[in-house]
Amino acid sequence: MQVVSELKATGLLALGTFGWTATIALARFGPGLLWETSNQVASWGAVALNVVAGFGWIVTFIRYLRAVDELERKIMLDALAVTLGVAWVAGFAYVVAHAADLVASELDVAALSVLMAVVFVGTIGVSKFRYR
Amino acid sequence: MRNHITARRAERGWTQADLARRAGVSRQTINAIETGKFDPSLPLAFRLAKLFEQRIEELFLDEC
Repeated sequence: MQVVSELKATGLLALGTFGWTATIALARFGPGLLWETSNQVASWGAVALNVVAGFGWIVTFIRYLRAVDELERKIMLDALAVTLGVAWVAGFAYVVAHAADLVASELDVAALSVLMAVVFVGTIGVSKFRYR
Repeated sequence: MRNHITARRAERGWTQADLARRAGVSRQTINAIETGKFDPSLPLAFRLAKLFEQRIEELFLDEC
């Protein structure tokens, strides 16, 4: 029973992740490729779609956490905590370094997102190895 | 938390996968509980005790 529920929740999370990523691509590359850059209605529509898909992804992720096995849930929550901590520490360190003119460029949100993704996946990998 | 799950499981000839299926968790969870790396939730602890027809305090040892 739980396996089916977990599989279903995992499938929905994968679908939600793909859908959200697709709306990011639409909002990022749509203007200019799919419609004129001057068409702000279409651009705002794509951004709104991305936000709605993002909230849907959050709900899907919460449902996934509730459906999975309790050890898996602990692994996920640990990974989320480490990721949030690293993002805060690295983000604020970069901001103060930039304010002190130690680094030239401003914080790149995309780079921070990539860092968070790497830390999240890496922490899950370490935990999976620990509890194997 | 120490426990007698490995011994009780061996008495019944169950593999970790067998116990995991009966308890509705993953094999990794059973392994982590047996090796003391992970403490189960109260509902899961009761489920395991019921599967082994034991009281929860007979299966899990209080280390305090």
